[in-house]
Amino acid sequence: MTLKWCKKWSFVIILAITGIVYCGIDRDLLEITRWESLVPMVEGRPEDDWNVQQEEIVSDPGMEGDIQNGETDQSGVSDPGASGEGLGQADPDDPENIDSRPQDLTSPGDTEEEETLPEPEPEPEIVIGRVEEDYFADALFLGDSRTVGLGQYGSLKDIATFYASTGMTIYKLLGAEIVEMPEQQGKITVEEALQHQSFRKIYIMMGINEVGGGTAESFAKAYGEVIARIQELQPDAIIYIEGILKVTKARSDKGDYINNEAIESRNEAISQLADGEKIFYLDVNQAVCDEDGGLVKDYTSDGVHLKAKYIALWEEYLKDNAVLLDWTPGESTDPAVPVDPDPMDPAVPANPDPMVPADSAPMPPAEPVAPMENGEQ
Amino acid sequence: MVVLVFSSIEFLLYFLPIFILIYMIVPQKLKNVVLVLGSMVFYAYGDLFGLGLLAVSTAVNYLLARVIRRKTGLVAALAVNIGVLISFKYYQGGAMLPIGISFYTFQIVSYLVDVYRGEVAAERNFIDFAAYVMMFPKLVMGPITSYKDLRRQLHRRRCDAECMQDGLKLFILGLGGKVLLADRLALLWNEVQVTGFESISTPLAWIAAVAYSLQLYFDFAGYSVMAMGLGRMLGFKLPENFRQPYMSASVREFYRRWHMSLGNWFCKYVYIPLGGSRRGEGRTVCNLLAVWLLTSLWHGTTGNFMVWGMGICLLIVLERQVGRLWKRIAKDRAGSKAPMICHLYLVAVIPVTWMCFAIPDLEQLGIYLSRMFGLRSAVAMYVGDWQKALGDYGLLLAAGIVASTPLVRWIYQKLEKKWFGMILLAACFWFCVHRILLQGENPFMYLNF
Repeated sequence: MTLKWCKKWSFVIILAITGIVYCGIDRDLLEITRWESLVPMVEGRPEDDWNVQQEEIVSDPGMEGDIQNGETDQSGVSDPGASGEGLGQADPDDPENIDSRPQDLTSPGDTEEEETLPEPEPEPEIVIGRVEEDYFADALFLGDSRTVGLGQYGSLKDIATFYASTGMTIYKLLGAEIVEMPEQQGKITVEEALQHQSFRKIYIMMGINEVGGGTAESFAKAYGEVIARIQELQPDAIIYIEGILKVTKARSDKGDYINNEAIESRNEAISQLADGEKIFYLDVNQAVCDEDGGLVKDYTSDGVHLKAKYIALWEEYLKDNAVLLDWTPGESTDPAVPVDPDPMDPAVPANPDPMVPADSAPMPPAEPVAPMENGEQ
Repeated sequence: MVVLVFSSIEFLLYFLPIFILIYMIVPQKLKNVVLVLGSMVFYAYGDLFGLGLLAVSTAVNYLLARVIRRKTGLVAALAVNIGVLISFKYYQGGAMLPIGISFYTFQIVSYLVDVYRGEVAAERNFIDFAAYVMMFPKLVMGPITSYKDLRRQLHRRRCDAECMQDGLKLFILGLGGKVLLADRLALLWNEVQVTGFESISTPLAWIAAVAYSLQLYFDFAGYSVMAMGLGRMLGFKLPENFRQPYMSASVREFYRRWHMSLGNWFCKYVYIPLGGSRRGEGRTVCNLLAVWLLTSLWHGTTGNFMVWGMGICLLIVLERQVGRLWKRIAKDRAGSKAPMICHLYLVAVIPVTWMCFAIPDLEQLGIYLSRMFGLRSAVAMYVGDWQKALGDYGLLLAAGIVASTPLVRWIYQKLEKKWFGMILLAACFWFCVHRILLQGENPFMYLNF
């Protein structure tokens, strides 16, 4: 009787059993892929650990004058051991890396440049101005899908380095296995990659994927922690916090968490992280927003991402607002005048209160196609 | 507008199991009542105003069909129904269009005409008629089914464990097409839109057009199979809406196998009343033009649909002329039609027509087509874009192409009753649920390009 009944309803029974199996195996799977669950992981990371390491570095004055990268490496290597999670894959390689790293670092041209630079000069003047593409040769871009677009369709794609991935958030940035290294198989995490390569300029644009969760404060806190860690690994680098690109007014008015008010409040919060010395805030929205305070409608098809054609506007803004710290006259390969007298360009980073609302200084949305270069490459 | 889509967690894990359970338990007599109530819940989830309109439309047409005897009455009734449809289509560019109105209006029209013509008697039982119009499997996206085809089933139908499970299996097959193929292929088309048409390479323009063609097919055909499956679960036999259209050898054939219920409707209520193809070639062309003009308008009021419909119409007319010519030249070799070449022609031309369907802005459409044919040089192009697209989506595209052949249907029929096949289908269901959960729980999925 029961057997007959079971046979009759066999498919429903199979469906139910597989459903139970699914619920059983699925929990772990889901928790890995849900970004929310990554938030506590990052926040709950041993912050003290970081602080301790920083103290160590500070309390080691002998190293100060030396090549700073050396100590970066040590702290960088000791960290994965300490904080443990997410870095398991590359752990076995680490001992080797310690040995090989100094060699790695002497090979790129910029390190030589560095050595010839008068390092101990205490406070070089910070000048914001126009740079050309070669400025970005030792620049790194960190970001989400928008930065992926920059790395794919911008003119800097072959010049700068991009650690960017679709759906990236500040919470998972350091632990994200997205970096391909030429000599290694598979991908390594951003944190590991920062131990292998050194950069002088690091541009970060992140935040659109995060607006759905947390508050501006918790976001800025996580952002600050990531920057602190990056500075630990790359003490020489200038860090540019790019304001989160806004969305179009239409997209903003749609009524969900993706709206320009949320983006503005987060930009306000992260702009406070700028110190005017090593960390600068860039209000990129000036370059691509209109009077409505949103992304110009024609620049995007989904209201969120810049079309390839208009990526150049973003790049131009970055070129116009670069810190010319390293561009000491003797070293200069670039004859560009360091001071940009344009009053329309508020030297945002040098400002102690760097948040300049886009509305207050609306840049005319540039001539539509001006910076575009025609023709297939 | 929110719709309780078949491929949502709310539908799959809440609405459907609860509804089916109640539906199976209640006695035969009450099944239609449960069906109507369930369909109202289904519809009210997204659009309460639309539900009012649907209910009014159902009641009014139920009465109209019973009283109309004269032609003027019929014309007036049709005018009201179609007038409502047209006004919603044009009001605010269709922003307020109630869900499924294009579909249920056409069903009601077919019902009124069939009753007037005496092909079928007007339904006496209001609940049975309401069940015909409102049944949720076909309410939102068809298939457009004539009352004549459903009348007997509405009054009495077999509804047991076997039907239920066969329907469920069919439903899962459609769900797989929708969730595992269409929804994922959609990402490529999205990527191309985000990039901007002026910045894509010619190969990518073609790859994206093929991807869109497959996406549209698995989306709509997936829905249709799900509708058929749901109908089967409730004891109905809903008509087939797609018959591997990409296997066709001409555009004419393609549209006899694509969205068949709509094609049949236009054939029966427009093309044939106008005289069909029996009044000479000139008149036939005019009739085809009328059908495709209406088909374009039915799909939407933006200009691109007109370009699409007229393009299809032109191709069909040309095919007719070539066919006639061919017949005259090769009288003795009639039948040797070089099917390979015809098929290649079809798979080359259809993606182009779908681009007209996909891109509402005519200027953007122009840019896209000119990129497809290399008539305009690209701006800020990324040279390897198409290799990257093939790397990211190659497997998916291949899967889509294979699934457009009769192979999947064949395998399904072989395995459907076997234990192995059933386990596979059940796994497919939960995998789909998993995919939907992932997309739903990461609300920024659409940002992920």
